[in-house]
Amino acid sequence: MKKFKIILLSALCLLLVTQYLFAQPIKNDLLLSLAYFNNNNQTQYLKATAKSKVNGKFQQVANVSIAFYIDDASSKVLLGKATTDHSGNAIMQIKSVASEIWKSSATQNFSVSTQEDKLYNASEANLAIVKAKISLDTLEDKSIVATLLELKDSNWLPIKEVDIRVAVKRMLGELNVAETATYTSDSLGMVTAEFTRDSLPGDSKGNLILIAKLDEHELYGNLTAEMIVPWGIKPLVHSTFNDRSLFARKGLTPIWLELLAYSIILIVWSIIIYLIFQIKKIIKLGV
Amino acid sequence: MEISAKNKIIQDLLPQKFGKPGKIWVSVLLLFCAVGMYAYYRQLTKGLVVTGLRDYVSWGIYISNFVFFVAISLVGSLITAVLRLSDVHWSTPLTRIAEIIAVSAITFASLIIIVDMGRPERFYNLFIHGRLQSPIMWDVIVITTYFFVSILLLYFPLLPDLAILIKLKGKTTTWLDRIYHFLGSFWKNTTEQINISNKAVNILSITIIPVAFAIHTVTSWLFATTYRPGWDSTNFGAYFISGAFLVGAGGVIVAMYVFRKSYKLEKYITDSHFDKMGKVLVLLALLYLYFNVNEFLVPAFKMKKSEEEHLLGLFTGEFSVLFWFAITTAMIIPIIILLFKGGRKPLPAFIAGVLVVIGSWFKRYLIVTPTLLHPFLPMRDVPANYRHYFPSWEEWAIAMGSLAGAMLVITFFARIFPIIPIQETITETEELAHEKV
Repeated sequence: MKKFKIILLSALCLLLVTQYLFAQPIKNDLLLSLAYFNNNNQTQYLKATAKSKVNGKFQQVANVSIAFYIDDASSKVLLGKATTDHSGNAIMQIKSVASEIWKSSATQNFSVSTQEDKLYNASEANLAIVKAKISLDTLEDKSIVATLLELKDSNWLPIKEVDIRVAVKRMLGELNVAETATYTSDSLGMVTAEFTRDSLPGDSKGNLILIAKLDEHELYGNLTAEMIVPWGIKPLVHSTFNDRSLFARKGLTPIWLELLAYSIILIVWSIIIYLIFQIKKIIKLGV
Repeated sequence: MEISAKNKIIQDLLPQKFGKPGKIWVSVLLLFCAVGMYAYYRQLTKGLVVTGLRDYVSWGIYISNFVFFVAISLVGSLITAVLRLSDVHWSTPLTRIAEIIAVSAITFASLIIIVDMGRPERFYNLFIHGRLQSPIMWDVIVITTYFFVSILLLYFPLLPDLAILIKLKGKTTTWLDRIYHFLGSFWKNTTEQINISNKAVNILSITIIPVAFAIHTVTSWLFATTYRPGWDSTNFGAYFISGAFLVGAGGVIVAMYVFRKSYKLEKYITDSHFDKMGKVLVLLALLYLYFNVNEFLVPAFKMKKSEEEHLLGLFTGEFSVLFWFAITTAMIIPIIILLFKGGRKPLPAFIAGVLVVIGSWFKRYLIVTPTLLHPFLPMRDVPANYRHYFPSWEEWAIAMGSLAGAMLVITFFARIFPIIPIQETITETEELAHEKV
């Protein structure tokens, strides 16, 4: 009976241990997405986002190493590797080393990939874009003209029937220049927006930054163009740093407090000094 | 008044040499002071790290002790000034006790502030870079002023007694004689001198009241001008002053009993004095209780989220035992004892006084520390000992040493000078006899 118990217990222990020793970790699939950005026709970069489904919900995945490639006619050229941040995003600029490939065609293919690791399976994503840009101009009557152009056979041609947003940059976002949020480009690829925000505070010189945007277009990606215009109101900033206040530095005590405090000190200490003289008087009388 | 009766008063009230109990008492106090000084030496050499003070609780037992000293010093203005101006004569034997308590307490209040500083050698910066807008600066000014006013209020009524002591120099030791001569050899008891002295005491009695109110109001503003749970109160000035009068009166009753017993002053500090001071103490305890109800009931009724943790910590949490101990010993039990005539006899009144003083000391601790442990922003990524505060042995030793130091000043004062004004007692006895005739 005793032997039987030992065998049974040993079998149970073995069962429990093997469960942990030989258990295979479950790997998740990584979902990669890729987007192209052209900021003010000066900086072009790619943004990859890594997500994974955890408990039925997509969550951004941080610390994933992503390889960025630009496609040549016959092969893929590595642009570089970047690691995703806490939002699951990794950014890679289209470097000067790839400028020859970038200039060679009006369209461009990109791809990103990750390698298999302990937590995730290998994953990849592709993106094909048509090179495009927005140019921004203003008229004397405070109208804003944005022109959307695409590259075709070395020529910039207008793009029609595409919605462009025209706005003015503010500290934490963008404000539409008028009631209308977006404008559709005409046959010349142009949109015209009227600037109606007459009382908008600008920077110290009264300047505002106008912005024309094309967001997440399936062919052209994300395009922006910016322009500085002197249409804002110059703010009248009155610094209270050197004013007399209860919170100011030494020497900037409010006058009323100085008067009050010094009057009290003067009165009380005059009394003390007077009384010390009274002691002297008593001493004189006793000598 | 007969000369023999006059001489009897003088003989009764002359300062006496320490007997055996007096010597033991002084030795114990000196021992406390020595341990406190050693602890302070350790703090100076090793830094504030030897204390329990950390980033959150930077005002611990030292500042509680400071507030306690400032509070107890207010008694000088209560007994001497308020009662004198109200033409109350029964308090005459108590005036000097009250005044020396005030002087010694305010001296140690100033010292304990320096002890709280990590780098005391930088104290002078307060005067070089001090901002008049800061309540800390007001406190420095008003404490200095109160110290000088209290010294003068102690000194003027002492002049006639110094003349009596000089006359009896044969009965005093040499070093004492020199002190008496230095301080009062010029007093000839002329009408002119008496008039100047009386006028000076009247001026001081009027002056000391606003200064005394200012000293404790400003001390309360050190807290109330800071936006923190428990300190953000418009009630603080009155709350502090009422508490200060209470602990001061409690301290005087304790001192009255000790001096009466030690120097056999039953004829001068009578049962009637205990009865009257007992009544004063009940009134002050009720007043302070009223302010406490205001201070805690109103915020507890609203129970704002930011104050909830602090208030619950006091009522039922970490500090509840100390909180209810302080409320009970400083107010409830003394009120119960002193409401009855039998409770206003010397011994029960003395016990009530001791309870008031002890309870009030812990009350100051509760005003300072729990608030610092409940900041508006949660404590994050800090070592575990930042979240709690318990004074280190060095802090206890320094705090107890400072209390012993204050008592030592009072003890030595009573050894050198008459603790009950001799001349005033003679004058009042003469006036009383004259009225009877």
